[in-house]
Amino acid sequence: MTSRRKTLALLGSVALVGAVGVAACGSDDKSSDTNGGDTATTAQGGGSGSETRFMSDDAKKGGTYRIATPDLGFTGGFDPSAEYLGWAWGLQQMLLNRGLVGYRHVGGTAGTEPMADLAEELPEGENDNTVWTFKIRKGVKWSPPLNREVTSKDIVYAFERMATPSVGAQYANYVQPIKGFKEMADGKAKTISGIETPDDHTITFTLTEPTPDFLFRLAMPATAPIPPEVGKCHTKAGEYGRYVLGTGPYMIKGADKLNISSCATQKPIAGFNPTDGITFVRNPNYDASLDDPEQRSAMPDSIDISVNTNEKDVFDKIQAGELEEAAGLSVPPDVARKYTTDDSLKDRFRSNPEDSTNYLTMNLTTPPFDDIHVRKAANFIVDKTALQRAWGGKLYGDVTGHTIPPVLLDGDNSIDPYATEGSAGDLAKAQEEMKQSAYDTDKDGMCDAGPCKGVLYLNRNYGAYAKLGPIVIDNFAKIGIQLDAKELPTGPAYETLQTVKNQVPLASNARWGKDYPDATTFAVLFDGRNIIPTGNTNYSLVGITPDQAKKLGVTLPKDGVPSVDADMDKCRKTGGEERIACWKEFDTKVMTEVVPWVPYMNALHTNLLGPAVTQWDFDQDSGESSLAHVAVDPGLQK
Amino acid sequence: MGRYIIRRLLWTVFIVLLASILTFLIFFVLPAGDPALRFAGKQPTEELIAQARVNLGLDKSLPQQYWLFLSRLIGGDEYGWPGLGYSFHTRDAVLPELIDRSRVTGSIIVGGALMWMVIGVPVGVISALKRKTFWDRGLMGICLFFISAPVFWLALLSLLIFWKHLGWLPGTGYVPFAQNPGQWFAHLILPWCILALLYAAIYARLVRANMIDVVSEDYIRTAWAKGLSPRKVVMHHELRPALAPIIALFAIDLGALVGGTIVTETVFNMQGLGNWLLIAANNNDLPVTMAVTVVVAAAVCILTLIADVLLAIIDPRVRLQ
Repeated sequence: MTSRRKTLALLGSVALVGAVGVAACGSDDKSSDTNGGDTATTAQGGGSGSETRFMSDDAKKGGTYRIATPDLGFTGGFDPSAEYLGWAWGLQQMLLNRGLVGYRHVGGTAGTEPMADLAEELPEGENDNTVWTFKIRKGVKWSPPLNREVTSKDIVYAFERMATPSVGAQYANYVQPIKGFKEMADGKAKTISGIETPDDHTITFTLTEPTPDFLFRLAMPATAPIPPEVGKCHTKAGEYGRYVLGTGPYMIKGADKLNISSCATQKPIAGFNPTDGITFVRNPNYDASLDDPEQRSAMPDSIDISVNTNEKDVFDKIQAGELEEAAGLSVPPDVARKYTTDDSLKDRFRSNPEDSTNYLTMNLTTPPFDDIHVRKAANFIVDKTALQRAWGGKLYGDVTGHTIPPVLLDGDNSIDPYATEGSAGDLAKAQEEMKQSAYDTDKDGMCDAGPCKGVLYLNRNYGAYAKLGPIVIDNFAKIGIQLDAKELPTGPAYETLQTVKNQVPLASNARWGKDYPDATTFAVLFDGRNIIPTGNTNYSLVGITPDQAKKLGVTLPKDGVPSVDADMDKCRKTGGEERIACWKEFDTKVMTEVVPWVPYMNALHTNLLGPAVTQWDFDQDSGESSLAHVAVDPGLQK
Repeated sequence: MGRYIIRRLLWTVFIVLLASILTFLIFFVLPAGDPALRFAGKQPTEELIAQARVNLGLDKSLPQQYWLFLSRLIGGDEYGWPGLGYSFHTRDAVLPELIDRSRVTGSIIVGGALMWMVIGVPVGVISALKRKTFWDRGLMGICLFFISAPVFWLALLSLLIFWKHLGWLPGTGYVPFAQNPGQWFAHLILPWCILALLYAAIYARLVRANMIDVVSEDYIRTAWAKGLSPRKVVMHHELRPALAPIIALFAIDLGALVGGTIVTETVFNMQGLGNWLLIAANNNDLPVTMAVTVVVAAAVCILTLIADVLLAIIDPRVRLQ
C-alpha cells in the first residue's frame, strides 16, 4: 500500500492510523532519485524518506536562509484567516504556526499524508465522520510576547474569526459543514455551536454532514490557533497579518517587541513589510521535543525573504551565492538549461509537480462547444506538446489528458481518452469526431456552420500565455473553427471569464491548483451548484440547471448540460482506496461524458538552489519549497 | 510675489483634485478588473463578493466613494494625516508605506538630478562654445547614444560590469541612509548614473541649442562690443537666459520622476513610488494608485511653482504676474 493510499485509508472508516503509525510509513531512507552530480546526497536526518530531498553530507543548523521574490503576493495580507496564497500557507504551516493537523512537508505522496501536529494524534471520525475530537499537545507555547500555553479556546477563536464577515475569510466554505458556523457567519449566533471545548486541551467538532476529508481541511492555516488577545484588535480584512504570533519554530522578527497590553499599543511587527519582505527568526518558546522532526527540521537560525523586482538579478544572485533561492518565479529557461546540462550543477535545479492543471475551458452552453463532439474533436486536435513547449518544455510541465493532477489520484496519470501520438494532436481522429457534430453540415470533418466562425477565445496577454494563442488558433483552424482571440491582462481576463453573462466560448487564461491534497478541490470546478453570476469558477457551466440558466440569462442547448454533481457527492462521502477509485471514475466521466476542458499540462514547480544550500526539499502540500527542511552553510554564502 | 504664490498654491490644490478625480474615474471606467473579486479569493461566493465590496467600500456609489476619499485625505484617518486608507493588495496602511517609499524615490531622483545638471549643463555649454568642432560633435554623439539607449538595458549592463564582473559596486537593493550612509551611497551610485545619463544627455542638447540661439541676440553683440570678458559674457549674458527654459523643464521632470522612475527602481530593486504604482496598477489597488497620483500631481505643481519663482530671479525679462 502506498503512502497515499494509507492517507486515504485514514480518511475512511476502515483504518485508523495514529501519528506513530503514520510516521513509520515514511521512514524508509532513500537517496534522491533526481539528485546527481558531485554533491553527495542522502536522505538522512529528518528521516522523512522524501524522494525530492536534496541533502549534502554537511547540513547543519544555523545561518540565514535568504530568499527573494518579486512580490510577496499575499492575497489576504498574511492574516491566516484571510490568506489564500499557497506559498503563504507554507510559511504559516512550516515556520510560524502549528495547526491541529499538518504534513511532513516533503515532496511526492509522502507529503500529502495528514499528520498530527498540534494534536496529540489524529482521531477517527465518529458518527459517519460527523464528529471529530482532538486532544491538544500540552506545553506548546505561543511565541513572545504572549508566552502562554496554547489552549482549545485559541482554536475556537480562529474559527470564530473565519465566521466574522469583516475578516474576509476566503476559504471558509471548507469549514461550513461545522454545525452553527453558518449561523454565526450570518449574524444569527455569537458562537459556533458545533465546536465544544470540554477543557483547555480538548476540542470537538460536530459537523452537519459526513466529511471524511475533514483532517485535510484542518491542516489549512486559517484553522490554526489565533490568540484572541491580539486577534480581537484586528478584525479588518488582512490587518492581523502584520501582528501574527505563532507556535512554530520561528516567529516574525520583532514579534517579541509587540506591546500587547492593549489594542492601542499594538504596532505592526517590524520584521514584516508587505512590500519589502519578511524575516523569520527562532521562536525562543518553541520546544522541538513537542514537535515531530519529520514535519520540521528547522535548521536555519533565520529565514529572510526579501522583495526583488529584477528577476534576472535574483537568479544572478542565486548563482553567485548571494541568495539561496527564489520564490514566486520559475527558473528562466536559459538558467535551467545551464544547470540541467552540467553534471556538477544538476542537483541544484529542482522540478516538482505543483499539483495544478493547465487547460482550455469550453463553455457547454455556447456554440459550437455546446456539442460534445466538437469538444471531443478539440481534445483530439490540440497539440499539447506545443503548448508544453510554450511554457518552457518538459522541465516546466508534464502533458496530461485529464483534469485532476496525478498526485491526487495516487500518482495515476493513465486517464487519457484522447491520447494522440506524441501528444501532438491527431487530425484524422479529430475530424472523425467532428463528422458526428451537427456543426459539420457536409460531414467532411470540418466545422462549417455559422457558429464555427469568429468564436471568441480569451487569453492573457503576457508571458507563456501569449505564446499559447497562436498554437490554439492554428490547431482549431484545422477542424474549421476560426477563433477570434481576445487577450487581456490577468485581472480583466479572469473577470471576463468569471462573469457568466459574457458567455466566453473558449479560454486558456485560467489554471487551477489544489487547495489540499484531495481531488474534491478540483471537483468544485464542475459543481453546478457553485455557478454564480460573477466570480464564477465553473467556467464551462457544467451542471447548470434550466432555473439557473434563466436567472443568469443563459440559453441552454436543447439537450441541456450534463451534470456530475451526484458523482462528486458520492465520492466526497467515501474514504480510503474507494475514494481514490471514485475520483478516478469521476475524472474519466468528466473527460468522456462531459468534456468541459482540454487539459494539457500539469505544471512543475522549478527551483534553483544557491551553492550554500546544504539541504532542501519540496513541500507537496503547498506546492513550494519546504522551508521546514532547508539548511544553509554560512561559510559558502556571499 | 506673495499673491502670485498664494494663487499658484490654490491652483495646485485644484490640479491635485482634478488629477485625483480623473484617476478615480479611469480606475472604474477602464477594464482593470473588480478588486472585490480578487479580495474574495479563488473560490468566491456571492456572499463573499458582497462582503468584499463592503470591506473595500466599493458598495457605495462612485460620488460617495470619492467624497470619502477626499474627506479622509483632508481630515485624516485612523492611520494618520493625510488619510490615504489601506491598500487593497497588501491590506496595509498606505501612509507609512508612502513615506518609506518616498525616501527611496527621493534619494534616487535628488542624487540623479544633481548629477544630470552637473554633467548636462557644462556639456551643453562646451558644445555650444565649440560649435561644429570635434568636441561638439563627439559630445553630442555621446548624448544621442544615451538618449537612444533603453534605460533598462543600460541599467542591466551597468550591473553586469560594475557588480558582476568588476565587483566595484554592490548589486541591487536599497540601504536606508540611517542604517548605513556608506552603503546607502554605494547602492545609489549606479541608479543615479543611469538616471543622470539619459537626462544629462537631453539637457546638454537643450542647453547647447538655447546657447546657440542666445549668442545671436543683439544684447550679446553689445556685451562683446562693450569689451566684457569672455567669462562674463558666457556666464552672465548667454548662460542665464539659456538656462531659463531648462529650469522650467527641470522642475517638471523632477516632479514627473516622483512616480516615474519605474524602470530604474525595478531593475535596481528599489522599492520606491514608481515601482509601487506599477504594482498597484497590476493589482487594481485604488488607494495606492490614488495616493501616488496625488503625490505626483502635488510634486509637479509645487516644483513648477518653485521653478517659476526661480526663473523670475534668474531672468530679469520674466516677471511674475
